Amino acid sequence: MSQPNGSAEAPIEVSAIPTVVGINFGNSYASIAVLTKEGTAECIANEDGERQIACAIAFQGEELYIGNQAKHQLVKNSQNTITGFRNLLGKKFSEIPANALSVSAPVIQHPEIADEPAYKVKVLQASPSPLPTTASNTPAASKTATPRSEPVQVDRVLTVSEVTTIFLKSLIKSAEDFLGKKVQGAVITVPGWFEQAQKDALEKAANDADITVLQLLEEAGAAAVTTTSGPVPEGLSADRTQLVVDLGASALSLYLLSIRQGLAFSLATLSDHSIGGDAIDDKLIKHFAKEFTKKTKVPLTVCPASDPQDKRAEAKLRLALEHTKRTISASPGAATCSVESLKDGFDFTGTITRLRFDMEVRPIYDSVYKKVGELVSAAGLDLYDVDEIVYVGGSASLPGLDEALSQGFPENIVTPFTQGTVVGGGVGDPTTILARGCALQAKILAQLGEGTEEEREVKASFTHGHQYTQSKATSKTIGLLFPEEGAENALGGQWIPVLLRETPVPARRIVAFNVDLGEGEEKKVGFEVWEAKEGVKIEKVKLPKLEGEEEEEEEEEEEEEVKEKTVEKETLLTSLSFAAQHATKKGGRWTTRLEVTAIVGEDGALEVSAVEVGASGRGEKNVVTVPAA
Amino acid sequence: MANIVELSVVPPPLPQGWTPPAASGKSISPLVERKLLPAGQAYLAHVRRAVHKLTFEEHDK
Ligand SMILES: Nc1ncnc2c1ncn2[C@@H]1O[C@H](COP(=O)(O)OP(=O)(O)OP(=O)(O)O)[C@@H](O)[C@H]1O
Ligand SMILES: [Mg+2]
Repeated sequence: MSQPNGSAEAPIEVSAIPTVVGINFGNSYASIAVLTKEGTAECIANEDGERQIACAIAFQGEELYIGNQAKHQLVKNSQNTITGFRNLLGKKFSEIPANALSVSAPVIQHPEIADEPAYKVKVLQASPSPLPTTASNTPAASKTATPRSEPVQVDRVLTVSEVTTIFLKSLIKSAEDFLGKKVQGAVITVPGWFEQAQKDALEKAANDADITVLQLLEEAGAAAVTTTSGPVPEGLSADRTQLVVDLGASALSLYLLSIRQGLAFSLATLSDHSIGGDAIDDKLIKHFAKEFTKKTKVPLTVCPASDPQDKRAEAKLRLALEHTKRTISASPGAATCSVESLKDGFDFTGTITRLRFDMEVRPIYDSVYKKVGELVSAAGLDLYDVDEIVYVGGSASLPGLDEALSQGFPENIVTPFTQGTVVGGGVGDPTTILARGCALQAKILAQLGEGTEEEREVKASFTHGHQYTQSKATSKTIGLLFPEEGAENALGGQWIPVLLRETPVPARRIVAFNVDLGEGEEKKVGFEVWEAKEGVKIEKVKLPKLEGEEEEEEEEEEEEEVKEKTVEKETLLTSLSFAAQHATKKGGRWTTRLEVTAIVGEDGALEVSAVEVGASGRGEKNVVTVPAA
Repeated sequence: MANIVELSVVPPPLPQGWTPPAASGKSISPLVERKLLPAGQAYLAHVRRAVHKLTFEEHDK
């Protein structure tokens, strides 16, 4: 399942690499990334060889388990196992719905702190004398009866914050064991829907774990950093519209991002707490439970289960499915699900093919697709306006999801699956993308100076809601139109978009290309500057009959929706024209190389300049300006 | 560093007798308010330019 620790090389003593980490802190799983010598980031495994570390802590006797080992305690020791605590950070007890799913230790009202959620677990205290008698560590009734040398069982009350601190501390410890150095700072993810109180609570819990929090970074921001660091993926431009699909365990989060040469902001977001890996598990648990009953004739009612035996069987299946789902994601073959003594002493081993798997899970894929449609229309856009899909979260590793979503997008949509970067821990791996983004962000932040007023201001701009995050952006695409004799398109020439709509200002774009100046000696360069109207045209086209197809009458005319992106001239702004000085003649035709710069200022003023770049150097700068409104 | 985007398109020669249209006097469409994600090198560059009040050209250096 997980690769052994140490496949990412520990950075040797290179002072240029700060000892910082990125932590993706989900409600279900966490991951840790460190920086590599090459300037990239990689996820590391903890002592147990896990890269996806379950957000769970469990107490059993004198032992404290953290991570996947703790999760396994959910079967037999659920009352002393704590999960799902991230989402409770910063919440008052009264804000937590009473019917919140409790597969683990229930959330209780803290015995002393008003309106504070807490957990009560039973632990064995090694040395009964002297017993630390803080009020929350109320000694159990058995205390007096226990011989002094034996550990005694006591109730221990932990706040959500304390649980988080224990957990985060163990993550940092894993990182420090790996790096062989003290971690100087961390960037930690927060969901986009986290409120300030939740962020404050997380920061406090991290500080209590002796972690210097460099930034609490929104998950969308972490994804944007990862996907805009390094070379622009094949088939994409540095200016693009990116759909981030985050499918975790208990939630689906969608972000439509405008990515403009690495600068990112959200055009629309949406989250749904009914779609996720847990819902996928429910489908599969039912499927395997049915199979179990068919094989053994032992009745098994799950999702929901009411009988304690069934509940335990369901918990066992849920744990076993982690492996099944990972196998389905990793290889096209079939996957198994094995549980020892599932019920009434009967073992169970089921097999599922990817086809069958996707069939069972189809309703979840479909709901994701539906939500994606809602998101994109909320932004006033069409699926065809999306250039790239980025997957985040464990459940987004499933290839079936990409197959289901891709249907509605243009054929050339770029996804990590089309790029082949998901499997084998590639750059598109949805399970590591957030932690890696955080590590890269931590590197940026660790290198910021604090010496001057300006430097401190730059540093402060990374805090939540800072004024520098407020920006204006263009609302229409600005481009160059090179008129052409008898042009076939409606635009009447060659259109070169330069500054796309939704580009934060001030913005500058520089494009370079050759221009054909014809055979004459006039060698005139000229273009118009327009704002464009962009859209998506939907046409119903009758499908062409395949050759040799018979019974034309009987068959219904098949129609298919064909979509096409459209660009129309909307507002002429200005134009620019000059005689080329640096053209070269080849095969009787003149060409010159042009570098066109467009700058939109903070006020909306536009400046377009063109320079010829010849073998003998750069020509004169020809400039036109369009004043702000 | 200025980022120059190489394009493969080659615009054709201008039509006979084309004269550049005069500036329309119109400005670009109204700008819209957006909230940037405070993340990545590009955001850092964006803020640095603003804080140090630099033009793109000055920032290139
Ligand atoms: N390779 C994989 N293929 C399919 N599903 C996987 C894979 N790896 C993890 N999962 C599932 O993904 C889910 C966990 O995803 P992730 O780590 O993104 O969750 P999270 O963000 O912590 O959770 P939440 O959505 O509750 O906040 C679990 O349901 C897990 O079973
Ligand atoms: Mg998540």
